[in-house]
Amino acid sequence: MPRSTRKSTSGASTPPSSLSSSPPSRPLFPAISLRSSSPSSSQSMGMGKETPNSNVLSARTSLLNVLTRPHHSSPSTTIVSSENNSSDEDTIYSDQSTISGSSYASSIINGSIADKQHLSSEDIARVYENYLEKPFVYTKSTIKHSEFGHCNNPNWRWTSQWNPDEPIHPEEEPHPPYFTLLTTYISYILLIVIGHMRDFFGKRFRPAEYAHLMPQNGYAALNSDFDSFYTRRLKQRLEDCFARPVTGVAGRTIVCYDRSSTDENKTFTLTGTTTRALNVSSYNYLGFASSTGGCADAVEACIKKYGVSGAGPRHDASTLDLHVQTENLVARFVGQESAMVVSMGYATNSTTIPALVGKGCLVISDEFNHASIRFGVRLSGASLRSFKHNDVNDLERILRDVISQGQPRTHRPWKKILLIVEGLYSMEGSLVNLPVLIELKKKYKFYLYVDEAHSIGAMGPNGRGVCDYFGVDPREVDLLMGTFTKSFGAAGGYIAGSKAIMDRLRLRSHATCYAESISPVLLTQIISSMGSIMGVAPPLATPAEDDKSDTLSIVSRPQAYGPAPSHILPSWMKLPLNLLNGTEGRERLRRLAFNSRYLASGLRKLGFIVYGHRDSPIIPLLIYNPGKMPWFSQLMLDRLGPDKTPVVVVVVAYPATPLITSRVRFCLSASHTKNDIDLILRACDEVGDLLGMKYGKQTMNVEEVISSAEELVASSKFD
Amino acid sequence: MSAVHSHPSSMVATAQPASTEIPAPLIPLLSSLTALIYTIENLFNRIPGSPIIVRYIKSSYQDDPWRSVLELFLLAFAIRTVLKGRTRGEGEGKSFIKLTEKEIDELVDEFSPLPLADEPTPADSLTLETVPTIYGPNGIKVKTSPNGKTLLNLATPNWCGFVENDKMKEVAIETLKHYGVGTCGPSGFYGTIDIHQKAEADIASFLGTEASIIYSQAFALVSSAIPAFAKRGDIIVADRGVNFGIHKGLQISRSNIKWYAHGDMKDLERVLQNVERDRKRKGGKLTKKFIVAEGIFENDGMILDLPKVIELKKKYKYRLILDECQSFGMMGAHGRGITEHFGVPASEVDMILGSMANGLSTGGGFCAGSQVVCQHQRINSSASVFSASLPAMLATCASQAIDILKSQPQLITSLQANIQVFRTQLAKLEPFISTTSASSSGSAENSLMPPPNGVPNKEALISIPSHANSGLIHIFLLNPPDNLEDEEIILQQIVDEVQNTSNVLITRSRRLRSQEIFEPEPSLKISISGYMSKKDVEAAGKGLRNAIIKVCGSEY
Repeated sequence: MPRSTRKSTSGASTPPSSLSSSPPSRPLFPAISLRSSSPSSSQSMGMGKETPNSNVLSARTSLLNVLTRPHHSSPSTTIVSSENNSSDEDTIYSDQSTISGSSYASSIINGSIADKQHLSSEDIARVYENYLEKPFVYTKSTIKHSEFGHCNNPNWRWTSQWNPDEPIHPEEEPHPPYFTLLTTYISYILLIVIGHMRDFFGKRFRPAEYAHLMPQNGYAALNSDFDSFYTRRLKQRLEDCFARPVTGVAGRTIVCYDRSSTDENKTFTLTGTTTRALNVSSYNYLGFASSTGGCADAVEACIKKYGVSGAGPRHDASTLDLHVQTENLVARFVGQESAMVVSMGYATNSTTIPALVGKGCLVISDEFNHASIRFGVRLSGASLRSFKHNDVNDLERILRDVISQGQPRTHRPWKKILLIVEGLYSMEGSLVNLPVLIELKKKYKFYLYVDEAHSIGAMGPNGRGVCDYFGVDPREVDLLMGTFTKSFGAAGGYIAGSKAIMDRLRLRSHATCYAESISPVLLTQIISSMGSIMGVAPPLATPAEDDKSDTLSIVSRPQAYGPAPSHILPSWMKLPLNLLNGTEGRERLRRLAFNSRYLASGLRKLGFIVYGHRDSPIIPLLIYNPGKMPWFSQLMLDRLGPDKTPVVVVVVAYPATPLITSRVRFCLSASHTKNDIDLILRACDEVGDLLGMKYGKQTMNVEEVISSAEELVASSKFD
Repeated sequence: MSAVHSHPSSMVATAQPASTEIPAPLIPLLSSLTALIYTIENLFNRIPGSPIIVRYIKSSYQDDPWRSVLELFLLAFAIRTVLKGRTRGEGEGKSFIKLTEKEIDELVDEFSPLPLADEPTPADSLTLETVPTIYGPNGIKVKTSPNGKTLLNLATPNWCGFVENDKMKEVAIETLKHYGVGTCGPSGFYGTIDIHQKAEADIASFLGTEASIIYSQAFALVSSAIPAFAKRGDIIVADRGVNFGIHKGLQISRSNIKWYAHGDMKDLERVLQNVERDRKRKGGKLTKKFIVAEGIFENDGMILDLPKVIELKKKYKYRLILDECQSFGMMGAHGRGITEHFGVPASEVDMILGSMANGLSTGGGFCAGSQVVCQHQRINSSASVFSASLPAMLATCASQAIDILKSQPQLITSLQANIQVFRTQLAKLEPFISTTSASSSGSAENSLMPPPNGVPNKEALISIPSHANSGLIHIFLLNPPDNLEDEEIILQQIVDEVQNTSNVLITRSRRLRSQEIFEPEPSLKISISGYMSKKDVEAAGKGLRNAIIKVCGSEY
């Protein structure tokens, strides 16, 4: 049966056995009852009990393939993986033994979930009672459960890697029913008409409230009422969904201050209470946002040694040894020759693009590129063309056009053409079609700049971003940019490329010359988290020729993505073993991949319209009607369902998205457990039914989805 | 239109010939035509509101047939416009040349772009090679090589010694245990932590403004806060000497920018009058008008004559955007900046932009002003909306640093004393030896320019335009060589000399040559800290003086 086959791939060889009767191969392994949930699911799905369904089998085989592929692609990594597995098991046991002591763990492990195919609402309520508050389990990793959930079932893992059988983009975007489109447009028209009426009468009857929109004592209005119309009349109605004050770590859970408004969301007053909610809003992809654990200890040591300040600009004696070490590590992490760090992610784009291109150069940009890219291009003075989101045909058309026509009017050829795309789009959850772009790049000789703000750390079997995910040699891309805010739990950004380009950037970038350097505290967080994703090689094991060779190819990829040589890391930094050997990092990558794929597939099965790639940790769920946005946000927080566990979500609307496609955006994290994802699915199901948001065709009910999680993840079908 | 001729009541399924004069072979054709017309009409009548359209067309045709023709033409035009597509792209412009696919392929093959990185010039290499790397913690005593000698750091802004403040380290560790490091989100999406709100309130109450908003980088703050308010068509009057970040903000704003001569209040007034005259002549809508200037100018350390600017701004109805990235934490009795230095209430200034990285030695920046000003930026300022919020510990440390500044004015006193000591050492090389150097430091009148009423100094080598109270001191060569590169080389020699002989780390100002709007002259950049001992500062000043004499004396 599948379970045992999969078990054998993860290192321990157990003979195949049937599930219900099989005693756990290791009797002291309590998680076994959790695992049996998957086969029982296949029964509940109406598949044959005795005859293994061929679909499931093929799915399993593909799962097997994917799981093992990165491990066997090169002999050097096989060794690493086998080491990983052994220590994996160790951590599992220790975690288990601690976890089973808590009432939370026993309530889940001892069975109610596993035994029954469908949970009654009482069961759910019981299991999820004080779900977020109670289990403050301290394990060997010494990270609080509320910041990073423990999830030991090795089946709930996945490897984020491109499967050429799966399309990078769906054949066609899912469409909502015309009724929804119509009501959405009508809603906006109504809102605009009512808003203008309120403005019209308000200005005449209550001028005091409109003072800042009208000229006063000879001063023009600070905000024109036309520019601020959207903010005042549309966004203000949803104001409660945004900028909710929080406290503590934005980890697996987050503590929100409760607030209320008595003046139509103009001001909020805190009620004095707080709510701990499940957090699917923060960009904490690998769960490194935490106040405890190995990284936090390293940061504490850093504060004692270095203080917190980055002080002045990099060129004015504020370049620390830590900056150089971080840059070397980042370059190695992304597989480039050299890298540069900047104290703010936004500024990484806005201050380096002007250093790369100028007048007479052309920037071709995806229409959904981030504001910082647009800001940078505007500063640079280069011409700008944008192409339809992820549409390579449109891109090629534009390329042929601009190269053949040259600069406008003069027809002189462009000095440089720079294509700027994002690896993973933060509002769409869609991936860039990197393999095709590389092809186009060879033909049309443009330079490629990939903004990996969201994909770095979150995509790829080694967490090295989209190049890793697609198996593309990172040096095929001229510039790889990314941020440390997301996966690494720090702040700031980097840009990496060849040494010649980086040297130019160090001279020409606005940031190195005039902006403050990045704080040593953040650098420590970056080094420790990045180092633990890579693993740190013991000094002797570093291949001697590795330092000299700059030529890379796809064949040598595993080497390029190898561990961090220990001499790059600061000597005072002491990391715990599970971070040093990379097991923790690998676990986190695989948990994130599972969570992402599970939720994205699950929501589609429930009949929601979901954008983006299935491996993307950003999952946008379409709402359309603007009136449903505050309701969705509110109902996720004040849950109606039996588990009563609050969830905080991000709702996004125009101008961040096109006008009609308002959406809620889930950002998953390795810190979420499968139970957390189940909870989100149940919550979405209940709110979706209530608000009529299942615009697509529902093919499974929520309990079916939950019980067939592993099949959904392993299946290579998009829907 | 068919509806005009037939009446709905006569609608039948089969057609009846209207006249017997029609030749027989045509009858089946006509009957099927009529049937078709009826069907269409039937369908048309089912559309809600169709009788209104019919009535409209009928009456309009009867009243004025030409109008119907015109309307038909307009309809055709509208359909054509819709079908044409929204973007007026390639293929439309005058200079577009239609090429065959083969020609395009050839052009694509021929296309050879410039390399992404151009060859570095010798000056570039010099700049890059001379960036010092500090081994170990930054502070007033640093090492620039792992086992090198300890240098006195006059290169890093550290006005009150907060870089090494132990209390702030404690606060940082405390914060780490509650909040972790990063916030993992922009302030709009669960990235607004309670300590951010506290830091904002602390800054606002420290300065005496209604509110403030925190950004995660001071440079991005300056270049993003200005375009959040100033839009196309607005008027910005700016000092020619403003820093690079402001230049970028002005560039993004696309406003109408007028420059006035650096530090020249008469010229400012002239520009304001010109704008006023223009506006009166042209008439038109009242637009937003801003004056943009710096408290202590980053490019030369000069001070803004704030009382005069406030007077002019009120007279001509401008809003003042004041960049205090250098002066915050350095000027005034408690480090509140030049508003405190001049005794002007901060609320008189519409927007104060400050740097927490320079002034408080943490990170990020803030904009202080009225509630409306700050609230507007939370939604409309690009760098605030689209960027992750400031890491928690940088915000708590900023709050802590403000507490220290409030309660320990001696930090600023000590800073001012050190500046005095340092400037006295260099005064012997300046063009005018002020006769009343000790007493003139506080007054605003003669501080904008080098004191004109001193004794001319024949042995002068340098000029220091920086204000006597400014911790940021720029030293310009008095008789520079003709080209900038040579001047940079001389300055670098001074930097190396003072490092080798006196163990003092200073830097020359690094510029983005060819990206600046007004190329600033090369200069040496000194940052004095109040945390240094008087003896060290005096020795450093002496060392620098000797180095300048040694390098420049041999040149001339």
